[in-house]
Amino acid sequence: MIEVQDLWFRYPESDYVLKGISLKVPRQSYVAILGENGAGKTTLVKHFNGLLKPTRGKVLVCGLDTREHSVASLARRVGLVFQNPDHQLFANTVYEEVAFALKNFSFPEKEVKRRVEAILAELELDRYRDRSPFLLSMGERKRVALASVLCYEPDVLVLDEPTTGQDHKQKEKLAELLQRLVDKGKTVVVVTHDVEFVADHIPISIILSRGQIRGQGKTLELLSNEDLLAETFLFPPQLTAILWKLSKLGLHPAPSVEEVVEAMLQARRQSP
Amino acid sequence: MRVFEGLYYVKRNTAMHRLDPRAKLVYVLCITILSTAVFHTALPMIMLFISVIPLAVEGRVLRRLLSTLRGGAMLAVFIFVFNFIGRLWNIGFVSPSSPEFLEALMPSLAMALRFLTLIAAFSVFFLTTSPDDFAQALVQMRFPYDYALTFTMAMRFIPTLAREAQIVADAQKSRGLELEKGGFMQRIRNYIPILVPLIVSSFRRAETIADAMESRAFGASKKRSFLYMLKFKLSDTLFSAICIAITAAIIWLRLSSFLPP
Repeated sequence: MIEVQDLWFRYPESDYVLKGISLKVPRQSYVAILGENGAGKTTLVKHFNGLLKPTRGKVLVCGLDTREHSVASLARRVGLVFQNPDHQLFANTVYEEVAFALKNFSFPEKEVKRRVEAILAELELDRYRDRSPFLLSMGERKRVALASVLCYEPDVLVLDEPTTGQDHKQKEKLAELLQRLVDKGKTVVVVTHDVEFVADHIPISIILSRGQIRGQGKTLELLSNEDLLAETFLFPPQLTAILWKLSKLGLHPAPSVEEVVEAMLQARRQSP
Repeated sequence: MRVFEGLYYVKRNTAMHRLDPRAKLVYVLCITILSTAVFHTALPMIMLFISVIPLAVEGRVLRRLLSTLRGGAMLAVFIFVFNFIGRLWNIGFVSPSSPEFLEALMPSLAMALRFLTLIAAFSVFFLTTSPDDFAQALVQMRFPYDYALTFTMAMRFIPTLAREAQIVADAQKSRGLELEKGGFMQRIRNYIPILVPLIVSSFRRAETIADAMESRAFGASKKRSFLYMLKFKLSDTLFSAICIAITAAIIWLRLSSFLPP
């Protein structure tokens, strides 16, 4: 679906931000891209719909070389939801905001109406249909931005930091929604440093640090690799952190629930 | 955006940089008076324009100045073309060999050169004067502090705004916006989805900054104290005096018709 081959990238008059990235995001996969601030996560995903073109190397989207296709034509396949909704909201009503992309891609009027209404209902935004998007809360504005991309059903959905500013309930809803999309055959890529969210919901991860891929594979394996996490400035998920501490008390690496509880009780008895 | 590059201060330690902003303002004022009120033809404009170059070289900002001028060149061409067409319109379109044609051409050229001269002078001023020093100069010239601060903050946010414009454009392109699509009017309309978020977020930011400043007691006391005060040194007096003397001499020569208009 998305294939990155030895991608090097730098902005004019700066050092390389991405240094030899190679990765594959297969069809219908659910992938997280993790990394510290400034690791190059956003720069990387901006290559997925051709907003940025490789300085060296190649990016293929559905077999199309991004250097040879316009952003508009690639965006039809790869939907990119930006981190800050305020960078894209401009319309007078939530309805028009969500309809924007559909109109750009020349969907017929009837289809626009049907899709907008369906997605507004799905994201619990239908009661704001005729409201100005600027008057909504941050979490709601983020959902409007998400809706405005989801509505045209791109094959690949890339979300940049979707969980910031969302309360726990909304995060869970987002996770459910993304899982539904994956089940429907879509490919979902989530850029984030919300380790808990990734550990709980996303099976595959790519860890980026200082413009290079430092780890790639099963999320739970990567997130329990102590050295890797330390090198890439990531904190382990709380549960992993607890198990590490317990293992120092003599618990073996793959414990059962009972063993963990027993070890915790023991730890509590030992501490004053 | 390139025009704005000529407004960013470049930190260096040259005589131009060390001059008091007020002395440099005297110079900019002299150039402004000479190029707008005293001279009206192409030749003196060229002379005035050339006179800015040594100062840019001394301040080691010539490259920046040139890139500003490249950015301004487009506007200068516009000024020239519109002036020229306007004048031709008034006298009726004449053959290129007639003297009337030249009479329409030269003042239009002068207008464009005047624009470039002014840009060059102001650009050298801003390139060699830190916004803080400039604000301080304004305050010491009894401008209200609020206005001086507004100015420095506006300067400070030009790069931020440029970066944000890029992000907004990327976000809209990701939703299928094609800026180059459609006829002339449609192309202008294509910019609405970029301008609206930019303006709205600027207002949001302005409000946040105002709140942040007030929570740090901005405006709590009427009389502010300043950590640094600008001092008008001997070199500043000398520089200003030379500028004024040369300008006065030129005006005198012009009034007694030794110089062309």
